[in-house]
Amino acid sequence: MNSQKKSEIYNTLKKTRAQISIPLTVLTVTSYFSFIWVIAFKPNIFGIMLPGTNISIGILLGFLLILLIFIITLIYVYLANKKIEPIINKIKNV
Amino acid sequence: MYRLIILLGLLFANTAFSFNADESGHNLVAIIMFVLFVGITLLITYWASKKTHTAKSFYTAGGNINGLQNGLAISGDFMSAASFLGISGLVYLSGFDGLIYSIGFLIGWPIILLLIAEPLRNLGKYSFSDVVSFRLKQKPIRILAACGSLSTVILYLIAQMVGAGKLIEILFGLPYYSAVIIVGGLMISYVTFGGMLATTWVQIIKAVLLLFGATVIAFLVLYQFQFNFDNFFSQAINVHSEGNKIMAPGGLISDPLSAISLGLALMFGTAGLPHILMRFFTVPDAIEARKSVVYATGFIGYFYILTFIIGFGAIVLISNNPEYLDGSGKLIGNNNMAAIHLSHAVGGDILLGFISAVAFATILAVVSGLTLAGASAISHDLYANAFLKGKNNEKMEMRVSKMSTIFLGILAVLLGIIFEDQNVAFMVGLAFAIAATTNFPILILSIYWKNLTTRGAVIGGSAGLFTVILLVILGPVVWVDIFNNNEAVFPYKYPALFSMTVTFFGIWFFSKNDKTKTALSEKKLFESQYFRSQTGVGIDKPSGH
Repeated sequence: MNSQKKSEIYNTLKKTRAQISIPLTVLTVTSYFSFIWVIAFKPNIFGIMLPGTNISIGILLGFLLILLIFIITLIYVYLANKKIEPIINKIKNV
Repeated sequence: MYRLIILLGLLFANTAFSFNADESGHNLVAIIMFVLFVGITLLITYWASKKTHTAKSFYTAGGNINGLQNGLAISGDFMSAASFLGISGLVYLSGFDGLIYSIGFLIGWPIILLLIAEPLRNLGKYSFSDVVSFRLKQKPIRILAACGSLSTVILYLIAQMVGAGKLIEILFGLPYYSAVIIVGGLMISYVTFGGMLATTWVQIIKAVLLLFGATVIAFLVLYQFQFNFDNFFSQAINVHSEGNKIMAPGGLISDPLSAISLGLALMFGTAGLPHILMRFFTVPDAIEARKSVVYATGFIGYFYILTFIIGFGAIVLISNNPEYLDGSGKLIGNNNMAAIHLSHAVGGDILLGFISAVAFATILAVVSGLTLAGASAISHDLYANAFLKGKNNEKMEMRVSKMSTIFLGILAVLLGIIFEDQNVAFMVGLAFAIAATTNFPILILSIYWKNLTTRGAVIGGSAGLFTVILLVILGPVVWVDIFNNNEAVFPYKYPALFSMTVTFFGIWFFSKNDKTKTALSEKKLFESQYFRSQTGVGIDKPSGH
């Protein structure tokens, strides 16, 4: 009985983890490789200046990407503490 | 302990000597700051040595470091003098291109957090090879992982030592040899006596000092432009010989393949650096491991924004100031001195002295972390688990790790002297490529891929390691720049795309077709390993005080 309940909770854990980690990993990898893709194939796009300034799109996007990376880690930890941790505790207490 | 005191005395004698040799004002501030740093860190080492009696405390500080402390220590490991001076120098030279490196170094962190940090903490004890060998055969896997770790650590160490010697030569007027010996001696004493606990606190102090120093420089630069970025960048474009090209990707990456290959090495290399992975065993559980990555990512990201501002600040404020240029119009020293000169331009002798001392402290902290990781590969992986098959006693393992520390320290000093006049900049790149090619694939596949077998990991991992080293030797950086051949045999500067393909294909092919008995039992063990990696059920508790 106990072990069946345990394996049910474990399956929920695996599912919850996948729902959180996979989209965030995909977001991390695609945002980075899009950035690299532009540098590799269309470097001129990053040289275009924001209208009326001398700040280029590339530098703005670079700064935003650094911010995004940090935000991804914040989102993950928030979700992990809220959704994953309670399930792990359940498993430990079964 | 008394040896430590003798060493301290020697160091004071040495610094006093250099003070006599060069009595300019900034040196005085730098020397006072530096002696203070060394004094405090040696006191910490003394305190830590009283608490470091077991292998667990030596490698992991007893697992009692919290998330914020570990986050700071991780950023300390990561913000080396090479990245502080190197990236700001690269921005000074070519603007935007510096950002490619910064982002590449940072992007590995979410990957570590999302895929590696928690399973690593839940499965390992002292090093990432604990995780890889969790269900695979100890001996071959430990030897492979130790080869990956040691080559990464030694390449990184050479780059840091040579950089340190040159920097100290310029900043403090000490001869190259004694600079390298001082760094080696201090690092040996931190690690041998204080283990992970002392190394962690040295990293934390240094990280705080470096973040503070870089913030002050960036603030003083932006203050001159009333914090108006448009104005700031416009000035840089006016001053720089490349004009507005510095705002876009330039010569760093010449073709798409290189862009992707460099991107892969940076992204996955971080997730395979042994001294970084080792930090996850210093926290009590997966929750703190998670937290430490968020802090680390925040600090490192903030730091890279600062280095970018510092690089541009150097373009505007010092590239036309004859005080910082030599006869041919280049920066005194080299481009890597941009941040140092800028600190003088905006903050005078006091800030220059402070930043010089921080740069020295940074090198010391980073080489200590590297040496500790290398020593654990020798004593924990090779000695205790590969050769004695776990049947050793802890006391002996501790002694071997201390001996390995001393050995690695002396090796680092010797290599630092041998490579004095070589171009070592490529070594950090090679270290990342090896980490991405060997350590990262075997680690990630051992956690997530059921069908990984010992045979697959060993053949794929060593084939990748061999490929990456061969391609670097035959590539433009070594074959042309160092061996002075006309044309490179292998045309690309960044080998990771090719070598990672070799590793992953080799591991897949030789695991998939592995029908031996051990392979079957290794595949069977996956489920229970995965359960532990996901839940942390069964991990060691942190040791009490």
